[in-house]
Amino acid sequence: MDKQRDFVLRTIEERGVKFIRLWFTDVVGTLKMVAVAPAEIEGAFAEGLGIDGSSIEGFTRAFEADVLAHPDPTTFQILPWRGEIDPTARMFCDITTPDGQPAVTDPRFVLKRQLEKAADLGFTFYTHPEIEFYLLKSSSYGENGPEPVDSAGYFDNVPGGSAHDFRRRAIRMLEDLGISVEFSHHEAGPGQNEIDLRYADALTTADNIMTFRTVVKEVAIEQGVYATFMPKPMAQHPGSGMHTHMSLFEGDTNAFFDAGGKYQLSAVGRSFVAGVLKHAPEFTAITNQFVNSYKRLWGGHEAPSYVTWGHNNRSALVRVPLYKPGKGQSARIEYRAMDSAANPYLAFAVLLAAGLKGISENYELPAEAEDTVWELSEGERRALGYEPLPASLDRALSLMEDSELVAETLGEQVFNYVLLNKKRDWNTYRAQVTPYELSSNLEIL
Amino acid sequence: MSRTPSPLSSLAKAGFARLDEARERIDAHDLSAEDFARAADPDLALKTISDLAEKDPPRFTRLWAKTELREALVLLTGASSGLGDFLKRHPEQWDLLEKPLRTLPRDLEYLAIFREAMEGHSGESAAMALRVAYRRQLCRLALWDTRQPSPVTVVDQVARALADMASAALDAALDSARAHHGLSAQDVPLAIIGMGKAGAAELNYLSDVDVIYVTDVPEGADPTQVVRGAESLARDTARYLMEFGVEPGLWEVDPNLRPEGKDGALVRTLESHIAYYERWANDWEFQALIKARPLAGDTDLGARYRQAVDPLIWQASSRPGFVEQVQRMRERVTDNIPADQVDYQIKLGPGGLRDIEFTIQLLQLVHGAQDPAVRKLDTLGALRALSEAGYVGRAEAAEFDHAYRTLRVLEHRIQLGALKRSHVMPRDEEALRVLARHTKLADTAENLVEHWRAIQRSVRGLHERLFYRPLLSAVAGLEDPGVELTSEQAALRLQASGFRNPEGALRHMGALTQGVSRSASIHRTLLPVLLKWLAEGTDPDGGLLAFRQLSDDLGESYWFLRMLRDSSGAAQRLMTVLGTSAFVAKLFGRIPEGAAWLDSDDDLVPRELSSLRDEVSATLERHQDSEDSATKALRGLRRRELLRIALSSMVGVSTITEVGRALTTVSRAFLEGILALARRPDDGVDFAIIAMGRLGGAELSFGSDLDVLYVFRDAGAGEAAHQVAERIVKDVSRLSEDVLFPVDLDAGLRPEGKNGPIVRSLDAYAAYYERWALGWEAQALLRAAPYVGDEALTADFLTMAARYRYPESFREEEAREIRRIKARVESERLPQGADASRHLKLGRGSLSDVEWAVQLLQLQHGHDFPDIRTASTIDALERCEHNGLVSPEDAGLLREAWLLSSRIRTALALFGEPSTDVLPSDRVGLEGAARLMGFPPRSASALEETYLRVTRRSRTVFERVFYGSEG
Repeated sequence: MDKQRDFVLRTIEERGVKFIRLWFTDVVGTLKMVAVAPAEIEGAFAEGLGIDGSSIEGFTRAFEADVLAHPDPTTFQILPWRGEIDPTARMFCDITTPDGQPAVTDPRFVLKRQLEKAADLGFTFYTHPEIEFYLLKSSSYGENGPEPVDSAGYFDNVPGGSAHDFRRRAIRMLEDLGISVEFSHHEAGPGQNEIDLRYADALTTADNIMTFRTVVKEVAIEQGVYATFMPKPMAQHPGSGMHTHMSLFEGDTNAFFDAGGKYQLSAVGRSFVAGVLKHAPEFTAITNQFVNSYKRLWGGHEAPSYVTWGHNNRSALVRVPLYKPGKGQSARIEYRAMDSAANPYLAFAVLLAAGLKGISENYELPAEAEDTVWELSEGERRALGYEPLPASLDRALSLMEDSELVAETLGEQVFNYVLLNKKRDWNTYRAQVTPYELSSNLEIL
Repeated sequence: MSRTPSPLSSLAKAGFARLDEARERIDAHDLSAEDFARAADPDLALKTISDLAEKDPPRFTRLWAKTELREALVLLTGASSGLGDFLKRHPEQWDLLEKPLRTLPRDLEYLAIFREAMEGHSGESAAMALRVAYRRQLCRLALWDTRQPSPVTVVDQVARALADMASAALDAALDSARAHHGLSAQDVPLAIIGMGKAGAAELNYLSDVDVIYVTDVPEGADPTQVVRGAESLARDTARYLMEFGVEPGLWEVDPNLRPEGKDGALVRTLESHIAYYERWANDWEFQALIKARPLAGDTDLGARYRQAVDPLIWQASSRPGFVEQVQRMRERVTDNIPADQVDYQIKLGPGGLRDIEFTIQLLQLVHGAQDPAVRKLDTLGALRALSEAGYVGRAEAAEFDHAYRTLRVLEHRIQLGALKRSHVMPRDEEALRVLARHTKLADTAENLVEHWRAIQRSVRGLHERLFYRPLLSAVAGLEDPGVELTSEQAALRLQASGFRNPEGALRHMGALTQGVSRSASIHRTLLPVLLKWLAEGTDPDGGLLAFRQLSDDLGESYWFLRMLRDSSGAAQRLMTVLGTSAFVAKLFGRIPEGAAWLDSDDDLVPRELSSLRDEVSATLERHQDSEDSATKALRGLRRRELLRIALSSMVGVSTITEVGRALTTVSRAFLEGILALARRPDDGVDFAIIAMGRLGGAELSFGSDLDVLYVFRDAGAGEAAHQVAERIVKDVSRLSEDVLFPVDLDAGLRPEGKNGPIVRSLDAYAAYYERWALGWEAQALLRAAPYVGDEALTADFLTMAARYRYPESFREEEAREIRRIKARVESERLPQGADASRHLKLGRGSLSDVEWAVQLLQLQHGHDFPDIRTASTIDALERCEHNGLVSPEDAGLLREAWLLSSRIRTALALFGEPSTDVLPSDRVGLEGAARLMGFPPRSASALEETYLRVTRRSRTVFERVFYGSEG
């Protein structure tokens, strides 16, 4: 740590950094920042930087005192998009109360606490998200909704298309920021992109996702387009999901791998999947936190809406993918419901908690789904015991409200806050009279 | 050869323990038992010597023939099996016995000896030669040590010689490493800094040697190359000393005190060290640096290192957060002792070496900033310096010097025995006997243990005697031999122990100790330990102020001074309650004599109603001519009992439910007295006060309102009866008034609430309930219970009430009405802006949720299940569970929430926030409540999370049980 801090201070000097942005994430998953001058950074390391917690969603109640932001030097990076004029750097922060206890409302702390619980069991948690998003011509939209930048489909190579330049530029910037990008291709919707972040421990990945969103938005602005992570911006096109690959390591060994297991999935892996499946309905309000999220989950286009698992079954909620023989270290499972607008800290925390619960209580994995789940009839699904994920934010919240697992994982205060905040969202949404209602009802009623 | 077997008694006389075995060996080798009498462990000496005799018979015979050599061999082999093994491995080294040490060599002499032994060797073989030479010197030192008549007086010299030997061994090993890598001292400088015991030159026979490596980049050299070279030198130096080999390794070279510990670079340049300490180091690292000393390698570089870190060490006490860090250091001192070792630890644990070291280093940090004289490396030297400069008393310094030496001798001898690192006293009789002989501290095992326990006891009182006691000389002008502390120095010390206003504290201390009174003289003795206890509470300043006021009130009271002096349990309790509860401190202001109860748990048990009633009648009897003096006496009685209950709940004599009952009982006896005063012989009415709400359930908290109904019955007054009753009510509230500890009589649950008449006749109640009773009024009656006044009238009232509170049939519409009211109350009664999840009374899943759930069950089932008819929520809940009206799991969650909310309310009231019913959001209040509830320090967040979790779960149960909603 201290070596890292030295490194940060030295780099600030050497590179003539003019501003350091201190980043942290509110409970909803919005990136917040305070910019400080280099002179202040040493103090921020030593004592933390006082910030007014009441101005941040979910951090404290209005009548409470300030909180302190402590920059994490291991996250120091020079921001590439300001390189030329005033070099600017960023660090993620941990939030504490004035008496030095970790702020229970800091999402990063929620994830750290959960990772520690995993560490107590001897596990490290690795994740790898595939993040989808849309490039639009602008953030304003007309009668037909948002307008994508191009109309090409999955894997099409569009010569000179702006998506192409955009991707090259974004990948370059991410790599400058020390974030490895694994693979990128054009998803099924027009203007839709997908960028995969490389495998890393969950805390780093969550930090990287926050950075990634910022980079993508910045590059889009640079290129004169608009990027959105909205779960379902256009009814007729697929939504933007964030399929997340997960694995647990025990030291250097992948705990999900067992050469003799079915699909080479170990007993630990099977229980983990069972845990995720069993609790998925309860934590969907975290992995899919907006009203709009449920338009993606239930809008077809390969989004998983039923609690099932399968081997290479793209309709299942949890997929156990194929990997090359001899690559035991890459054994993993993929959770397909999460969307690109989730708060990654909280989402990873609940996924991990559910999986660990499956392991510690030895959950039995239900039978594998071998059919394409969405092609089955309602009756068939019932007969096979495929439970649906919640169909709306409202339903997801009431399932979460009764979840001991989610409450324990988020901590009581974040748990309360999410419920209150999201119920408010739902109520506001419900009060709307939508164009759909007008067009289908007004003339005949 | 034939000889008469040696008589067993002569063996026993020589100190052998296993006589048959000894006789066999003695006779086999033709030895004489008397020769072994001086050995610490004759059995061990004999066993080793027989092995040596077999190993090299001619050499042995020559050696054994000479008296002095014989004696030396017995002493050495009787002292250490480890060194005996060395002699077995190396017969060629036996000549060391011929060369006893006259004076102890210093480091350079040792270095010369080691270098000579390594002459002509290199690599592994040089390392082996070094180890043999080291052990040879260790034997000579052990022999010298064993021959001393009083090991305690020379233990510091031995420790220094061991440190010198270690530093020479490091230097010699570094030589080899340099030769091996071909790196000269000019090209790649390396200084080895000793930390801990090695640095302080107070090493044990088998300590780890804590080191830090420093290098320096010569002009024009490549820094990376230099650091890399220095790292291989450091690694090989350690390897030569400790790696597995033919001759076993010497000791661990432990570099983990370096910047960043295990994760940090093994070797840093001087600049990099300084940069680290200037920027990042924690306070404990500065504490460790007190003992830093150049041990080996480049002496000039080492000296520059020490010079550079020196000022940093002594600024530590002025850094923010120092007090906090000191407290954590203290926690570390007491943590981490394996439970089965606590009683046998010489080093850790109460009264151990670590206690002495902690206090002395803390004093050095506090005073070393201004006074270079106390900046000593070693513990005994520091103690001496502190005493010479007047920071601690002379007598104390001498006593703890002796205690430290004694503990170290025990530790030395235990380690020397097997050449193993250990700080644990042996447990078996035989090993203790050997240790007693070896240390020359006692003649038997039993006496040794007794001696050691006495030292432990004295060391346990060390902190207050070295740290707090000298403070008195700064305030009281007290003649404490040798102490000369200015008030600034005293203030620094108080600040370091957590007092926020040291000047104020010093004033109070002055007031407590000055003068020639008996109390001043007792305070002078006791204050040091009282201060220590206060410093462990949440508010030492407030506690000291309260103690001063208490002492002012009690003045020369003989029992108080005696209690403080003779009952440390009571004195400690007193400091704890004063330092944590503002409520108690305020009550003590009125009832100082309550301090006496702390001496005995029996006095803290809340008193029974019957005994209080007797006292009330006696009081009324005594004061029958003056209403004023009677009410004053009753008020005093009530306050006194409040204090008793508060103390009782704080020291854990009473549980939360017992506290609720006791508070109810006290209020009842008190109001009985008041009512008697309010009555006239010719009133012509029967009058009673019915308990309602939490009062009815006997579940009061400190500062709760008393919910009541007033009822009367005409007994001859006729028309005037109502006016008479109203006058009685008015008089009751007037006479019961207490400005400081209010008695809040609240008749708000009466028919028609605030709009209804304050008092009604029994008939009027009956008529009202018959015609109008609303659901909530029947519900309120559930908690009606006998309280004060006419018993027959009370009984009639309750009979009348039974019809409404336990109705034969309770219709669903009525249940729905109750639910509706509850739902409305939830949104209306919560104060503006209050957070429902934190409100202890009306919030989510807290007291009133649990109470409403239970009450609905009582209304629904009270008729059919007579045993659920009780006004107490907790009892009713248990009986509902018993009758299967609520599942054990649900009942458990509701009970947990009810009890936790009640405990927090009580803790807040005791902490000094009686008027609040909200879980505090400020950290101070949370921490205070948490401490009063028995949480460990720094539990504010834990209490908050626990409360929110428990009430969330109880709310879920409540919604199911009460509203009947499905999850």
